[in-house]
Amino acid sequence: MGAFFTSRIVSDILIGAAQGVLVGLIALSLVLIWQSTHVLNFAQGAMAMFAAFCGMTMLEHGLNYWVCVLISLVAAMLLGGVTERVLVRPLYGKAEINSIVVMVGFLGILESGASSIWSGMARQLTSPLSQTYFTLGSKTLYLSPFSLFQIGSALTLMLGVAALFRFTKIGLQLRASALAPEVSRLLGVRVSRMLTLGWIISSAVGAFAAIIIATSGSGLFPSNMDGFFVFGFIAAAIGGLESPGGAILAGLLIGIIQTFVADYLSPSWVAFTPVLILVLSQLVRPAGIFTKNTTRRL
Amino acid sequence: MTTSPSLPHLKLDNISIRFGGLHALSNVSFDVHSGEIVGLIGPNGAGKTTAFNVACGFISPNEGAVSYPALGQTSLKPHQLARAGIARTLQGVGLFDHMTVLENVMAGGQSRAHGGVVAGLLGLRSAARSEHSLRADALAQLDRLGISQFAAQLPSAIPYGIAKKVSVARSLVTNPSLLLLDEPASGLDENELSEFANLITQLRETMAVLLVEHNMDFVMPLVDRLVVLNFGQVIATGTPHEVRANPDVLAAYLGVDQ
Amino acid sequence: MKITQILLRLRYSSLGRLVLALLGTVVAICVVLLVSAQSDTYIANAGAMTIAILGLSLLTGWSGQVSIGNSGFMAVGAFTTGIWANHHQSSPIIISLLLSILTGAIAGLLVGIPATRLKGPYLAGMTLAFVTAMVPFIQSLGKLTGGSGGLFFANLSSPSWFANLSGDPQNFIVANYRWAATVSVVITGVAYYFMSNLFASRAGRAMRLVRDNDVAAELMGVNLGRVRVGAFVISAAYAGLAGSLVALLSGVARADNFGLALSIEILSLLVLGGIGTLSGALMAGLLAAYASTLIAKLNALFGLNPYSNLGSNSQGIIFGLLLVVTMLTAPQGMAGLLKKISHLRARKEAE
Ligand SMILES: Nc1ncnc2c1ncn2[C@@H]1O[C@H](COP(=O)(O)OP(=O)(O)OP(=O)(O)O)[C@@H](O)[C@H]1O
Ligand SMILES: [Mg+2]
Repeated sequence: MGAFFTSRIVSDILIGAAQGVLVGLIALSLVLIWQSTHVLNFAQGAMAMFAAFCGMTMLEHGLNYWVCVLISLVAAMLLGGVTERVLVRPLYGKAEINSIVVMVGFLGILESGASSIWSGMARQLTSPLSQTYFTLGSKTLYLSPFSLFQIGSALTLMLGVAALFRFTKIGLQLRASALAPEVSRLLGVRVSRMLTLGWIISSAVGAFAAIIIATSGSGLFPSNMDGFFVFGFIAAAIGGLESPGGAILAGLLIGIIQTFVADYLSPSWVAFTPVLILVLSQLVRPAGIFTKNTTRRL
Repeated sequence: MTTSPSLPHLKLDNISIRFGGLHALSNVSFDVHSGEIVGLIGPNGAGKTTAFNVACGFISPNEGAVSYPALGQTSLKPHQLARAGIARTLQGVGLFDHMTVLENVMAGGQSRAHGGVVAGLLGLRSAARSEHSLRADALAQLDRLGISQFAAQLPSAIPYGIAKKVSVARSLVTNPSLLLLDEPASGLDENELSEFANLITQLRETMAVLLVEHNMDFVMPLVDRLVVLNFGQVIATGTPHEVRANPDVLAAYLGVDQ
Repeated sequence: MKITQILLRLRYSSLGRLVLALLGTVVAICVVLLVSAQSDTYIANAGAMTIAILGLSLLTGWSGQVSIGNSGFMAVGAFTTGIWANHHQSSPIIISLLLSILTGAIAGLLVGIPATRLKGPYLAGMTLAFVTAMVPFIQSLGKLTGGSGGLFFANLSSPSWFANLSGDPQNFIVANYRWAATVSVVITGVAYYFMSNLFASRAGRAMRLVRDNDVAAELMGVNLGRVRVGAFVISAAYAGLAGSLVALLSGVARADNFGLALSIEILSLLVLGGIGTLSGALMAGLLAAYASTLIAKLNALFGLNPYSNLGSNSQGIIFGLLLVVTMLTAPQGMAGLLKKISHLRARKEAE
């Protein structure tokens, strides 16, 4: 039994799953925004990074890790709300290119801004939980207390968002405003507030992922979400941008496949793997693997 | 391209289209011959535009087949239509928003002009010459419809009636042998309507016309034959006189269940 | 008729476009020979940027496909040039340039075929994925590309006749700067000429038709897939040329110089200049020439140390801000503003 859990394949799956849930979180945060406002937020990763900086640099002033996380999440919510109100609102109903360009510009501002406030150097965040892998006998089991927390908290967050949307009145209003804004408005839903709320929730989800990424990986630095944003986008796109469950699943798969590619083929192919997956999935089903097929409207 | 008078220009043979559970067209058959003006009428949502979309290859039918016997063609892709001599206007206006009226009409001759990307980059003479003649033809079309004073305007700056004329001018640049018009007269005033009727009558000389229109007073005197659709089914065909006398048609238009 | 109007008329005939491009190039060469050597380095780089911007303007402004991956194609061009230069030291630069155009075009074809099946944000996202994958990929190629340290090779140096011609024959350093800028300006002129031809051609119109209304475009006989891929290939070929020029000017090709930041810079300049018009792309090129000077002046104005955190990042912040503000307030950029002003003036004169 122990030999199974420490086998090469299971090890790859465990490492990949720990990465994959983070990709899934980013993908989820993108889907939340896309569903409500039909904007693909190219600054999502950068916003998460910026918010993470706001809180996690307090570690250096001796604050408790979890307090710093809390500060980051509050910062993320503020940033998300303000961004929607100030930058995104004027873009509704405009050509797609306008929102893409504005969000790409915002991405540039946030990354350069973070470099000028906190410098471009990577900061190591002291992990609140051990990151040493467990051992089974003489073999390594590729799980650590932190990676357990990573997988567990990500799954909890995903379930939490799902429950919010499915079982609460706010969730119902959020879904209604995304699906049929005009009707919802007539029924008395404050649609514009709901759109802002969508951005706030999404932004918090993204920031949480950024904190975990920075703690578990190469530290916190201004461009450290670039790669994860791309993976998250690809996961969301494979799911069709409309399907939260599909996005999470695709994220998990991307994490695992990447680990296998790095282990069995070559680490230099890791970066291209998600692009290839995206291309293949789009060739098979352009509308997304997890959405119902729609024909072109003329 | 040989056009024989005995073969139809457009032939829809037992076409059925389903969008999910919706039967947009069921076993629809009709054809359009050279020198003929055929009206395709029916209430909103009857499937008229869908029939156009099938005829143009935008939608492939679940059952049945489209062919263009007189043009020697079966099932064309949309971008092959123009070259085969088939032109269509879109419901609404369907102009290119960021291009002037003249450029819009020149676009109609896109399939006729010369030169690919490389010829374009190099600025080859032949390409320039074909652009020149295309420009002249486009201007002539605008003249014919009496709207050449709008040549330099953007579509957003001209009245709706003019925009509709521009879209017709655009489809005439190639001198098509089959013309599909989707509600070309909606939004035109009395004057414009009679001018437009004259134009279509002239076109009969050189091409087959399939016309979708809601305005009965406009269609009835104009067409040779009518095809009436309701809920995706052909409920009547015949001369305007016959169709007018058909109780099913009356029922469909008055919204009575047949 | 005013002289500007006569010049504008010229672009309607192919001979006129040639005259315009020649005139512009000659004027630019005169400027190159008159200004300081420092300014010449800016002009030389701005030439390369202008070429990349022309390519992006075609793809994004014209065919309506937003790309934030064109710096990846520039990387392809730069490394083609670097690898070639290291293996064939004596080959003339025109070979490097043509090879880079070719490899850029091939990369454009490979990315374009799948990309053109995507729409709007999906497409932009895929080009982003391409450029973020490209940097580590090039670095992982080891010896061929010099890894993360990059590739070093001989940069452009002035032939002796040019050094003799341009005043002080003793001062080879200045002559080198002038020569580099002259070469860059000439290449830019040629690239502009071809692009202006394409703008006025049937193929160019096909791209705009697809952007404005793809259904109607198909009815006009346009093969959507082919036109979209064609735009990608030409755009990538221009990016490859730009990358090659960047490499030749500096004698270095480093993968991380061609990352997302460069793509954002190109896009910002294009949006500022005016997306979808040739004049907009040219204005973007002028901005590129002045950008670093302007940023340095701004830094000095606010008393920023250019090597401090804020000073070294002010360029990124300013570009980002300009991009956002332009898109929200004047999406047609400077070219659009100028057009509006001249329209207003014409109307006033008419009254
Ligand atoms: N791509 C599509 N997907 C799903 N349903 C469609 C699609 N295109 C059309 N329909 C449906 O098929 C039916 C027929 O539509 P169609 O546009 O052909 O009607 P029409 O006769 O042209 O009506 P109108 O007079 O309003 O233009 C309608 O119920 C429409 O909603
Ligand atoms: Mg219709």
